[in-house]
Amino acid sequence: MRLLLTPALLVVAVFAAALSALLRYSVLEFVPGSLQTGGLSLGNFTGIMSRQYLGAVWDTVVLSAATTGLTLVASYPVAYVLARTPSPRVRSTLLVLTLAPFFTGAIVRTYAWVLVLGNTVVTWPVPMLFTARGVLVGLVHFSMPTMILLLAAAISHIDPVYERAAASLGASPARVFRRVTLPLSMPGVVSGSVIVFAWTLSAFATPELLGGGRVKMIANVVRDLALDSFNWPGGAAFAVFALAVTLGLLAAVGRLTAGSERSA
Amino acid sequence: MLRLAVLLLVAFMTLPTLVVIAVSFNPTAILSFPPSGLSWRWYVNVITYPQFQRAMWNSLVVTLGAVAVAMPAGTAAALALARAPRGASLWATLLLSPLVVPGVAAGLGFLILGAALGLLRSRAVLIAAHVALVLPFVVRSVWVSARNLDPTLERAAASLGATPWRAFQRVTLPLLRPGLLAALLFAVIVSLNEFVVSLFISTRLTEILPVAMFTYVVNYTDPTIAALSTLFIVGTVVAVWLADRFLDLGGVFLHHR
Amino acid sequence: MLARLVVASLLALGLASTPAHAQNALVISVWGGNWKDTVEKVIGKAFTAKTGMPVEFEVGGTIDRLAKARVAKGSPLVDLTFTTSHVGRLYMSDGLFAKLDMAKLPNAKEVAKEALRSDYQMGGWSYVYTIVYRPDLVKEEITRWSDLWKPSLKGKIAMPDFDPSHIITIAALMEGGNEATWQKGQEKLKALKPSIAAFYSTDAQSQDLMKTGQAPVQVMLSVNAYHLQEQGIAVKLVQPRDFPGIVGIDCMSVMAGTTKADAAHQFINLALSKEIQTELAKALKAGPVNGGASVPAAFHGQLGIFLTPAEWKAGAYIMNDEVRAKNLPAWREWFTANIVK
Repeated sequence: MRLLLTPALLVVAVFAAALSALLRYSVLEFVPGSLQTGGLSLGNFTGIMSRQYLGAVWDTVVLSAATTGLTLVASYPVAYVLARTPSPRVRSTLLVLTLAPFFTGAIVRTYAWVLVLGNTVVTWPVPMLFTARGVLVGLVHFSMPTMILLLAAAISHIDPVYERAAASLGASPARVFRRVTLPLSMPGVVSGSVIVFAWTLSAFATPELLGGGRVKMIANVVRDLALDSFNWPGGAAFAVFALAVTLGLLAAVGRLTAGSERSA
Repeated sequence: MLRLAVLLLVAFMTLPTLVVIAVSFNPTAILSFPPSGLSWRWYVNVITYPQFQRAMWNSLVVTLGAVAVAMPAGTAAALALARAPRGASLWATLLLSPLVVPGVAAGLGFLILGAALGLLRSRAVLIAAHVALVLPFVVRSVWVSARNLDPTLERAAASLGATPWRAFQRVTLPLLRPGLLAALLFAVIVSLNEFVVSLFISTRLTEILPVAMFTYVVNYTDPTIAALSTLFIVGTVVAVWLADRFLDLGGVFLHHR
Repeated sequence: MLARLVVASLLALGLASTPAHAQNALVISVWGGNWKDTVEKVIGKAFTAKTGMPVEFEVGGTIDRLAKARVAKGSPLVDLTFTTSHVGRLYMSDGLFAKLDMAKLPNAKEVAKEALRSDYQMGGWSYVYTIVYRPDLVKEEITRWSDLWKPSLKGKIAMPDFDPSHIITIAALMEGGNEATWQKGQEKLKALKPSIAAFYSTDAQSQDLMKTGQAPVQVMLSVNAYHLQEQGIAVKLVQPRDFPGIVGIDCMSVMAGTTKADAAHQFINLALSKEIQTELAKALKAGPVNGGASVPAAFHGQLGIFLTPAEWKAGAYIMNDEVRAKNLPAWREWFTANIVK
């Protein structure tokens, strides 16, 4: 078994080397204007505590939460129809519409919103492009396919017998949804929400193209620090911070869901 | 009511795409919708713009290289995981870990590493990064198939005199085909569309297509990217539709009753 | 089938490990959009016709290209760089430029001495940074820098995020200081914050913001404003009555460590010739540096089209390049911390 695992482990080792280079730089002092670094220092991390960076962190968390919530609400109906529709044509169409965006990449998908939000089709009553609400729209649009697929998978596992039983006992469709469908689809709701939230925390292309320099999420700040200010140590520290937040989030959710599984 | 909601949501999902397609035919650089005329000039620009040509070639080389390494490595790992289910979850977590790392963290890490090793000039760092990013998808996809392998089949081949390699080639590999196909598909898609990490470690000469597109969007105001996007969109819609028609994609994601 | 796959992969890996080369071409680092188009059409074509050497371009924003040059220090990926005169000093202090060999630039004799910004930078053309706005979207006439602070312009202004030197200097001038004593203008700048709709990091973004009407008032350079006019967007350039616009001079420099220094010098020399300078002035609607270049009569008197470098001081404000370059990092940091966010 060891032999079979070795090549893959080598690849992971390369990845780990990249991450340890990141970690190493995060604790080195930044020498402005050059790639050389000073000695060991926690200055980069204390630098994160400034208003400007914490602001970006807060904005990222708020945007990610809003994105997750809106995406969930927008995706559920589509996922339900995708999972339950008896018509193979409807199912096929919805599937193609949901899957195709995955294969077109972030730039193609975000550029479409640069056009739409940029007053090309309609002139918006409030500015959309280069604002937080524009970025939110882009993020929701980007996350919907993922959420739809995860929700649809979960819903498709629910035996329709339960829903029919509830209906036959006199429950209205809304009640069936609230008492039967939604609770039974919870694993999908949770996993979809976690994945969308975690992904959105690291979002880069959408805020970069739709944010106009005013809406910066954590990933954009890392890029600015590393590629514009040439501050590799500072960018590394912020990136390590983002990594820690993501891992912490996943660990917390993992613990919560593990707990609920045991009590079920 | 549900139907109306779904219709509106589907419209939300697809309208931007329609706008892109319409704008790609705009005859002038000033974007208007509906377009003031029809012109192929931006499509011509896509094909003739030297940096796109270079980027398409880079994408091909990088993706081929990444797939060439990730497929065998990931398949071997998936088999190892399937055969030793007790230790599997720990190794699996390790192998799938690149998935949880934010793109900018991996990107900057590879940039620092690449600069230290003086490798930023060649595509080596790009390919290494792509392999690492693509491997989890390969492992995952093949593992699903490998889990359902009946070990008695390989043992039967061995008892009939086949060497382990031959047994693998003639028995295991064909049985793994669905997982392998899915792995290949994911690997290619992920690598072709990889943007954030590649943004950090590309130079003008090595940049792959998504990075070249990003550079173009930020530095030019004409709808060339709309044309390129349309080509992408049409290509993938056709591919996905075919996959659903002949490979039952629905069955991959949804539970059949 | 397996064998074929293996061969194909080995081939790909082999291709991949060879460094990506662009063998023969002279590689030029310049801004995108109309800038690259003009350099390509006016200078590049003539250069290739004369020398037979093709020209390639690395396109990006001002600071983007500086960052890329820093990473490639020692073995540059480009041979010649166009950048602004003050950011060029940042390249210089990083040791990224080679000293210009004036013996290889005979046309420099026809060029005003102010155009040679330093031993490493040869000016190619000039323009002015001023207020540009869309009269169809902003009804009130804008005539002074101080108008930008008017409440009616709340949320309507855009300015560059990569180089805040213009607005910082203007704010300092308004408070009786200048670029060296820029702290005097800090409070004034903070008061401008609510008026800002967006920041642009490239010329293309600036033009987009103007086209869509998202930011109909901008601190923009004259060449980009004229480019918008040519595309049919009616914008108005302001000659502010309280303080002048800020002069911008774009310079050409040879990269330290390039293998094509001779060709790079030839390119610069060509760009300085009367004929090319005339074409550049016409195409960009910018001020030439060669006194012998003829600017069309229709352009005379238009903002930013200085007929000679002597007009720079007379018609606008020239910032001290050294002070500007030295302060730029601090300015960017302060600006990002206090204004952008």
